[in-house]
Amino acid sequence: MKVAFLGLGIMGRPMALNLIKGGHAVTVWARRPASMQPLLDAGATAAAGPAEAARGQDLVISMVADAPDVAQVMRGVAAGAAPGLVAVDMSTIAPAAARRIGEELAAAGVDFLDAPVSGGEVGAIAGTLSIMVGGSEAAFARALPAFSCIGKNVVHVGASGAGQVTKAANQIVTGMGVLAVAEAYAFAAKNGVDRSKVREALLGGFAYSKILENHGQRMLDRNFKPGFKSWMHEKDLNIVMQTAHELGLCLPGSAATAQMFNAMVGSGLGEEDSIAVLKLLERLSGQE
Amino acid sequence: MKVGFIGLGVMGRPMAGHLQRAGHELFVWARRPESTAGLAATVCATPAELGRRCAVVFTVITSSADVEGVALGPDGLIEGMAPESVLVDCSTIAPETARHIAARLAEKGIALLDAPVSGGAQGAIDATLAIMAGGDAAVLERVRPLLACLGQRIVYVGPNGAGQVAKACNQMIMVAAIQAVAEAMRLAGAAGVDCGRVKQALAGGSAASRVLDVMGERMVRRDFAAGIEARLHHKDFGLVQEAARRSGVAVPLTAVVAQQLNTLMAQGWGRDDTASLLRVLEAA
Repeated sequence: MKVAFLGLGIMGRPMALNLIKGGHAVTVWARRPASMQPLLDAGATAAAGPAEAARGQDLVISMVADAPDVAQVMRGVAAGAAPGLVAVDMSTIAPAAARRIGEELAAAGVDFLDAPVSGGEVGAIAGTLSIMVGGSEAAFARALPAFSCIGKNVVHVGASGAGQVTKAANQIVTGMGVLAVAEAYAFAAKNGVDRSKVREALLGGFAYSKILENHGQRMLDRNFKPGFKSWMHEKDLNIVMQTAHELGLCLPGSAATAQMFNAMVGSGLGEEDSIAVLKLLERLSGQE
Repeated sequence: MKVGFIGLGVMGRPMAGHLQRAGHELFVWARRPESTAGLAATVCATPAELGRRCAVVFTVITSSADVEGVALGPDGLIEGMAPESVLVDCSTIAPETARHIAARLAEKGIALLDAPVSGGAQGAIDATLAIMAGGDAAVLERVRPLLACLGQRIVYVGPNGAGQVAKACNQMIMVAAIQAVAEAMRLAGAAGVDCGRVKQALAGGSAASRVLDVMGERMVRRDFAAGIEARLHHKDFGLVQEAARRSGVAVPLTAVVAQQLNTLMAQGWGRDDTASLLRVLEAA
């Protein structure tokens, strides 16, 4: 399949590489030309912009920072697209923004899928991302061969925007999950109890989670290297809280969690992994 | 002086009346022409036309986007207002939007004063509003005689946006206080104690406050008809949280109160008074 890949950051670059490894003919574009070089070395073709990249493709995928970037890139795609093209955005943006972009592309005869991912850089490199997809069944079927090179757990959740709704739900669970583990650790430590023993004990019971296992271990190791940067988690929780505001939805746990992430960004922990919320808790409780 | 006024709602209409009674010639524009009915003012066809005819223009509009549209959009004030003229925006909008509008207007030599108000509809009617101004201090002095027709406490807070930051702080404190009063009333009621007596007892002590007086009284009487519509506080809490986020500041209490306001909206009480936060607690 002929696939264009737009946006070659920490996530986009390995995802595009996996498409090449999967045997697809890949055209790339990135705002900074230097980002394209590793892909060109692996056999990709360079495009001068989103419009040129979209020309003659079966599928276009974008992986950029935020909704305005997606909108801008997709306007270029619409300009270069032939009717029947499928455009997929795998960035994490607000569900409402995804729906708006989908409508604009539909007007240009382009089928749009919102398909954000979970699994981080590690998952992107290994090709084991979780992909949550919103959009039409037909478009999903056409994009599936590309998705299967990028991820393992690929779920078509529902109509346009449903992928982003699912990703936001994912960020609620992971955001509160990381904070929950950090709070349990702070609680144990302040009580003079060994956190690693607490973790070991909890792993066997109902508090077991992947976050307790993986993030919990990294907290014990005090390895705060990202992973998933806390400013990005803050951005995603802001999507959650804005959507809750618009819908009239009561999310007290997410609200409290989002404030902790605000404080992390404000106090210089933004570039560290989201498990650095443990440092913030320790600072607040005088446990440094 | 020829004074323009845009936004003739619950707040704007009595404010415009005060300016007129003080002897100023009033020019108005409204998106819905029926809003200008019964006003002895010159009705303009567009904000631009109103801007051309006035030395000072007031706006009292609900959303950031609408203020921006009226000021900078097609046929907006920016197309009509002369250099040296002043736009006094009494709306509650994002500090960032205020700064953006100020910068655009400044290109044409027009001054913006962000001058949000506190005191509600009653304060607007009684001309007792608290006015918090952001912008050039000299500009504030030029329009101070006009503002003095609207309120008693006029405070210069700082450069453009500073008035809106002060208003955000005002809303944080006030609505959190309403929530605190609602929770106290809820506890008293659930414990089988007379809410009116509790309120009366507290009024003499350290918990005394204007919110306890006014909003507590509404809760005791279960009078949820709007003084200020709760949906406006809900809107303001969106602005407050966004401002906190941009500054990287944790506002945990504000965040929780915002969820109570979200629930209030979901219950369909957005056009009722914010005293309805009591009903939110009762719904749980």
